[in-house]
Amino acid sequence: MDDKPVLTADGLVKTYGHRRALDEFTLHVSAGEITGLVGPNGAGKTTFVEVVTGLIRPEAGRVMIGEVDAVRYPRKARALLGVCPQETALYPSITVAGHLRLFGALAGLRRAALRSAISEIAELMELTEVLGKPAGLLSGGQRKRVQAATALIAERPLLLLDEPTVGADPLTRTALLNVVSARAAAGAAIVYTTHYLPELTELGATIAFARAGHIVARGTQAELSMDDLFLREPEPAHGAA
Amino acid sequence: MALREMTAWPRSPIRWPALGRIAILARHNFGLVFNEPGPLLSRLIQPLVLILLMRPLYVAALAKDGPQAGTAQVVTGILVLFSLLGLSLVSIAILTERTWHTWDRLRATPARAGEMLLGKAIPAFATFALQQSVVICFGVIAFGLHVASPGLMAVAVTSWALALLGIGGTLGAVLRSQSELNTAYDIGGVLLSALGGAMVPLASLPAWARAIAPVSPGYWAMSALRSALLGQTAPTLRAACVLLAIAAATGTLAAWRINRGWPRSRLL
Repeated sequence: MDDKPVLTADGLVKTYGHRRALDEFTLHVSAGEITGLVGPNGAGKTTFVEVVTGLIRPEAGRVMIGEVDAVRYPRKARALLGVCPQETALYPSITVAGHLRLFGALAGLRRAALRSAISEIAELMELTEVLGKPAGLLSGGQRKRVQAATALIAERPLLLLDEPTVGADPLTRTALLNVVSARAAAGAAIVYTTHYLPELTELGATIAFARAGHIVARGTQAELSMDDLFLREPEPAHGAA
Repeated sequence: MALREMTAWPRSPIRWPALGRIAILARHNFGLVFNEPGPLLSRLIQPLVLILLMRPLYVAALAKDGPQAGTAQVVTGILVLFSLLGLSLVSIAILTERTWHTWDRLRATPARAGEMLLGKAIPAFATFALQQSVVICFGVIAFGLHVASPGLMAVAVTSWALALLGIGGTLGAVLRSQSELNTAYDIGGVLLSALGGAMVPLASLPAWARAIAPVSPGYWAMSALRSALLGQTAPTLRAACVLLAIAAATGTLAAWRINRGWPRSRLL
């Protein structure tokens, strides 16, 4: 496996009015690595995910996904990404299979490969029995699993999962963590934002702690103290790779 | 797999991948329309019923202008009125995607903004064209409406459908909530139809209304449709050109606004 980061984000700046949502935000994630991006609400986690995805453009900084400049060529970069946004975004009248078919096809899967990917991800995410059910009739946990499945249906070098288990039941959480672990083992770089530290322990993730728009601490859970995670005052923007 | 291979500049194994994605998105959007067919059916059936109810009145009122005048006015007028009201099909489709957060979800895929818009526009265009064709065919079959030039009528219908697509797309992209959209239709749909001569023939409108009528897209739609019925090439093409210009301007505005995405809103 190559040590060069799959995701290289350096010095990102994004402001909303007078508020700096990202303030020299720097994060590198290598192949096979799961990085748990944690921090209080408003720390810049979701803004970071949206910048990497190309949904918003930073005022400064650089995002490389492998060899692709994601700020200059967001669409090319998106072909390398699987994204599970924080907000559940499903079509109530479209079936689970319809969602997987749509996002699998947009990711470039066709015919037999698409059918096989749908059946595989449905099984992994415990969705096989509801494939024919419209999303509007699903439970909250099932909706979360469908949302995650649309991000995971195609194997990608980089996965961005933004609080994928908020409000999820234990079955959903277990199914998702198993798939994420398997994808990391297969070589994907993963950014996983969450408020649940036990999930990161289960995933064996390293932690990047964000506060006030930049990373203030980086390391394994064993290396970081509670002071690092919750008490340390924000330092001047410097980032931590 | 080596990192360089995994993250190299992505190349699709599929020929013409953009066309493939447009087809995927169009099929998906047709699915959304057919899964909730109520609005489509209402826009198809209501104009026919209204033509049946109102034709005797128009025929009597316009008898002095010839045997076809009343039928032509009621068919084209109701067509323009209901196609303006039918703008909601496009606007609501876009506004709903914003409410569901699905538009941003699609933006996070390799699909370009233009592909997403075309995928949304194809079913909407088909709906507008179907609606207008059904109304005109109803007039021809039920009341013997004479279409002097079917080719010119196709030009009129196509240009009006494209203008509706652009206007509806702009409203869906620019307005901030369902209630703003409802207000726009309550005021805009009826006023623009009336001002364009869809409800009352232009000649019967007050002078001040006749003077400002060309600001309404409905005026140009009525002009294109009426001229096409009479087989008048130059007036049909002139009105079609204005409609295409409206389509280009509003379509560009909608595409620009949609491509930028939307910030978090207190209204949606």
